[in-house]
Amino acid sequence: MLLQAHDLVVVLAGDSGDVLVLNGISLELPAGTVTDVVGPSGSGKTTLLRALARLLPDASGTLALDGVSADTIPGPLWRTAVALLPQKPAIVDGSVRDNLLRPWSLKVRHGQTPPDDAALRAALDRVALDAALDRDASRLSVGQQARVALVRTLLTRPRVLLLDEPDAALDELSAAAVSELTRDFAQAGGAVVRVRHHRSDDIAHRRLRLVGGSLAEEHTSGPDSEEATS
Amino acid sequence: MTEAAGGVVAIGWFQLMLATGFVIFVGVVSIRLSLGITKDLAIATVLTYVQLLALGFILRWVFGINSPWLVVGIILLMVVFAARILVTRSPDAPKGIFSSAFVSMALTGFIVTFAVTGVIVQVEPWYLPQYVIPLAGMVIGNSMTGIALSLERVFADMDAREGELLALTALGATPWEAAHGSIRLALRAGLIPTINSMAAAGLVFIPGMMAGQILAGADPVTATGYQIVVMLMVAAATAMGSVVALLLTYRRRFTADGVFIEKGFRAEK
Repeated sequence: MLLQAHDLVVVLAGDSGDVLVLNGISLELPAGTVTDVVGPSGSGKTTLLRALARLLPDASGTLALDGVSADTIPGPLWRTAVALLPQKPAIVDGSVRDNLLRPWSLKVRHGQTPPDDAALRAALDRVALDAALDRDASRLSVGQQARVALVRTLLTRPRVLLLDEPDAALDELSAAAVSELTRDFAQAGGAVVRVRHHRSDDIAHRRLRLVGGSLAEEHTSGPDSEEATS
Repeated sequence: MTEAAGGVVAIGWFQLMLATGFVIFVGVVSIRLSLGITKDLAIATVLTYVQLLALGFILRWVFGINSPWLVVGIILLMVVFAARILVTRSPDAPKGIFSSAFVSMALTGFIVTFAVTGVIVQVEPWYLPQYVIPLAGMVIGNSMTGIALSLERVFADMDAREGELLALTALGATPWEAAHGSIRLALRAGLIPTINSMAAAGLVFIPGMMAGQILAGADPVTATGYQIVVMLMVAAATAMGSVVALLLTYRRRFTADGVFIEKGFRAEK
C-alpha cells in the first residue's frame, strides 16, 4: 500500500465550540489509483488533504508511506513525497521559471539537479500553458497560475499527489489537460486524491463522500445516491 | 577629553516656572478654542516633571555611589522595561515572547554599550556611570524601537502570506525557509528609521546627544565624534537586536513538525 491513513481525528475551533472535522478517518491509497473526495463546502475535504500531507498544526492518527510510519520521517521529507497542491495557487515573485525552480532552492532537495529549460517547457506544454518561461508570473491569470503551481509540484516527482480542486479556475480545455496529466501520474505508479466540486471526468477509481467527519463510498458511475440512513 | 563644566547655565526653579508658564498659556488658548488637548497637555507636563526630576536625582545618587553592581543593575532594569514594551508593541506576535525579547535586548544593550565605553572611549573604571548609563540608555531605547518594528512586522507579514507559507511548506520548506521572506522584510522595517535618521543627521536636526554636549560647552567637533559613535552603535545595536529577536521568536509560529500555525488554528484571540 502506497499511503495508509488510520484513525485521523481533527478538531477545529468553530464559532460555536469545537467541531470534529475528521472523525477517525481511515484511508488506503494503492499505487496507480485516483481517488475523488466530494462533499458539501465546509465538510472538511481540504482538512483531510492537509492531514495526509502533515500540514495541520494539530491532528491525531497514524500515517504510513510504503509501510514506513510517518513518525520516522521528518515533516519536510514527508511533504516532498506526499505533495499537497493548495487550491489557491501561491506564486512567488519572479518569472515563471523562478516559480518552477523554487522547490530546488530548498534544503530538502539539496544536491538534486533541477530540471532544465527544455523539461520546464515540455511540462508547461502538457497543461496547455504557452506562457514564456521569462514571463513575470504575477501577471498571469489565475487559471494560468494554477497550472504553474500544478506543474511546479509535479516536477518535484512526489509519490502521492493531493489536489485541492485542481480545475476550479480552469477552462474546459485546460481542465481536460490537467485530468489527463493526473491520470498519467497515477498510471506511472503514483496515487492521487482530488477534492472536487464541479466537473466530473472518468479517471477516478474511487469516489468518496465526506459528510459529518466520515468517509462513505460512492459509486463511481451513476448519479449521487442519497444513502438511506436508519 | 577636557572637562566641559564651565559653559552650562544652570536652570533653577524660576526658569522652570517660566517654561511652565508657556505651557499654561497654551493650555488657556486650548480651553478658549475648545481644542480638547488641555488634559493631555497637563498630564504630560506633570509626567515630564516627575519622571525627569526622579531621573536626575537617581542619577546624582548613582554617580555618588559609583558602584559597578549598581550600574549593571540599572542597565538590567532598563532591559526589563524595554523587553516589556517590546511585547506590548507586538500584538501580532505569539504569547510568551518576553524571554526572547529580554535576551535580545540584554545581549544588545550590554555588548554594544560596553564595546563603546570599554573599547572605543576607554573609560576608567569600566563602569564609570557618567558614561555607561547615558550610553546604555541611548542604545537600549533606540534599538528597542527598531526591534519592536521588526517583531511586529515579521508576524504580521507571515499572517498576510499564510497561503504562500503553506505552499512552500507543502513543497518541503523548513520553517526557516518558509519564513525567510518575512524575516528579511522585518529586518529592513526595523532598520529603516535608524538609517533615515543617520541620513538626515546634521542636515535636518542636530542630534540630541550632540546638542546636549554643545550646550554643556563642548567643542562642536568633539561632540561630533561622540555623535557619530552613538549613531553607528545604535544602528549596530538595532540590527543585532532585531536579528537575535527574530531568530528567537519566528519559530514559535510553527509546530514542532514545521507547520505554520495559521490564524484559524490559534487558540488565542
